[in-house]
Amino acid sequence: MTSAAEIRAAGERLAEAGAALRDRPRGRTVDAFASLLEAWRDPGGTWQKRLVETLPGSAGFSPENVREGLARGLEHWTGNALRELVSRELEKIGEDARGFPRTSVLLAGSIPMPTITSLMGPLLLHSPVLAKPASRDPVTADLFAESLRDLDPELGAAIEVIPFASDDSQCAEAFFDADCVVATGSDETVFAITRFVRAGARLVAHGHRLSVAVVGPEHAEALALDVALWDQLGCLSPVAAYCDAADAERLAEALAQALSETEKRLPRGELPTASAAAIRRELDEAAMRRAAGRDVSVRGDEALRWAVVREADAGFRPAPLHRFVRVHPIESRDQLLQALASLAPHLAGIATDLPSEVFAPFCVRVCTPGTLQAPPLAWHHDGQPLLAPLAR
Amino acid sequence: MRQDLDARVLAWMAEADWRADEPRFTALALELFCFQFAHCTPYRRFCEARGATPDSVSDWRDVPAVPAGTFKEVAIRSFPAEHTCKTFRTSGTSSGRRGELHLDTLALYEASLLPPIRRFLFPDLESARAEGGERFRIIVMAPTPREAPDSSLSHMFGRMLDALGTSDSGFCMKPARLLEQATAPVALCGTAFAFVHLLEDAGPVRLPDGSRVMETGGFKGRGREISRGELYAWIEEKLGVPPARIVNQYGMTELGSQFYDSVLREPERPRRKLAPPWTRVRLVDPETGRDAMPGKPGLVTIHDLANTGSVAAIQTADLGHAIEDGFDVLGREPGAEERGCSIAADLMLGA
Repeated sequence: MTSAAEIRAAGERLAEAGAALRDRPRGRTVDAFASLLEAWRDPGGTWQKRLVETLPGSAGFSPENVREGLARGLEHWTGNALRELVSRELEKIGEDARGFPRTSVLLAGSIPMPTITSLMGPLLLHSPVLAKPASRDPVTADLFAESLRDLDPELGAAIEVIPFASDDSQCAEAFFDADCVVATGSDETVFAITRFVRAGARLVAHGHRLSVAVVGPEHAEALALDVALWDQLGCLSPVAAYCDAADAERLAEALAQALSETEKRLPRGELPTASAAAIRRELDEAAMRRAAGRDVSVRGDEALRWAVVREADAGFRPAPLHRFVRVHPIESRDQLLQALASLAPHLAGIATDLPSEVFAPFCVRVCTPGTLQAPPLAWHHDGQPLLAPLAR
Repeated sequence: MRQDLDARVLAWMAEADWRADEPRFTALALELFCFQFAHCTPYRRFCEARGATPDSVSDWRDVPAVPAGTFKEVAIRSFPAEHTCKTFRTSGTSSGRRGELHLDTLALYEASLLPPIRRFLFPDLESARAEGGERFRIIVMAPTPREAPDSSLSHMFGRMLDALGTSDSGFCMKPARLLEQATAPVALCGTAFAFVHLLEDAGPVRLPDGSRVMETGGFKGRGREISRGELYAWIEEKLGVPPARIVNQYGMTELGSQFYDSVLREPERPRRKLAPPWTRVRLVDPETGRDAMPGKPGLVTIHDLANTGSVAAIQTADLGHAIEDGFDVLGREPGAEERGCSIAADLMLGA
């Protein structure tokens, strides 16, 4: 494992690389990343192939799921989409906006797309990046750096990926000794790193979030895809579906069938014991509510590969993830908005075919069912702009 | 039937010789299943949905276990509601729901709690017991039963003080001064959270030799979270009680019986929780519903014959692992990182 001295040495190398970027025209950098995204978004290209080969082992997803997730997730991340995004953001923050002398990026989770944007953002502002990869995804950041070095050695020198033990406080001190820190993770993780971030430094935190669907039975297949991709572990994975009360049971039945079918094509990956225990507990508790006379139905695969619980009401309940979906009956639009309002601080996306204006009170991504896991490049993880928070 | 069952379980609890006695346990567990199947309608329907009926179940391991969380939403009684004499409630969470254990008698509840305390917290009093001198100075950091009438923990501590405490024993939420002045061994008991508060305030003292600590419960949702190892090191530093004299109690409102660390009784063997003979603890693989493979963690599932008035088989929310003839409950894996960026919704709900 890395030592604090190695992290400091990397910081010094990055300072030199940052100096070399100082006079580099922005257009050249944007063009480089536009080319890089084009290479990454090709399902037959080197980078997706290498991720499909390596990510399942560390992250616990099935190769089929990684393949499909990458193909869909990167589909719209074109070079032109990047150019438009940068142009739009620079209009707001100023054409000559610059990043900090160094940005330390603490990565989390095992879904590659947020890693790519977290690494790319500071570099677009010519801020060198020191990144700590997530323990469950030690590959995406390295591949990103490698692809950048191949394409543009000058930019490639401005990123270093350094793994170190999470409980090594000396390494943490050296790593977080930066003017800007980007941290992705649970509230607990973000809170824990605040003690390492120096006074006056910028902390850009991306907390964990969740998504829901507002759909009818006709969207069961599309919803099953949104649930199955990345095994429902992403912040754009729907954990609950709200449905007209008259159709809720039909949706539950159709969704159970669709999840069962989807499982054949996109097998669920690793299920940690604690998650299996949570699913078992939620299924058994739902079965007991049903036994006690509540209007609840429970469907699930015996091996816990998927589960659907149709609840009696709109009240949110624990979501154990790993393809466990609750269907909530909704009596009226007011009731729906009330249910969503209780989730608002944590809500990332809503899959629905209702007009997006319906959800105007919530600052979330609204999209059609089946496309939740394919966000546009401009949607950066939890709705923050890509560049503005990283600019000096 | 119920009175006969209660009498036979009470008789077992009264025996000083702790023998597992599998045939006796099986017979009582199956009779109790018959009784609870017949008298607790939600439980009967739950079992029927699993194809488990008194006719089909011949092994106590096949008696369906009810998840402990159910007690927050469903009244689980194997007796008429109007016969309820006591209701214990779980501590509140931000989800607002509290689990409830309804009892129509306290006889089993009280009979089940003292033998394990004597055996695992005061094993050195067993010889004194024969001479009628089995008393110890006990200080409890918890609300009194009067202050918290629906707390099973306060009730348990109250019974412990009545049965085993000396005249200078009692409840005290801030015992720092009492501890400084202690000249004879003390048993200091409380929740882990209460210990954190005490240790933050207390100056270092060295409790007299022979003192011991009993801690129970966790810190979830209480802001500060430390590991059990850190807590024990802190207790040793501030109170002079080494980890070998600190006993963790594992219990829950939904259960009549409790489980204690073996360290005081069997100091030469690994720390583990040992089950009273009228209980069985299984570690269940949540994916298969069968016993977890040796060495693998499993859902702690408890069959407690003291639960005659509710249901005997309870699936806890905890993962545990086997240690020799006992078990321990697993905390969160240190350094474990999430695979995704979806919030764990139970955290969001504060459940």
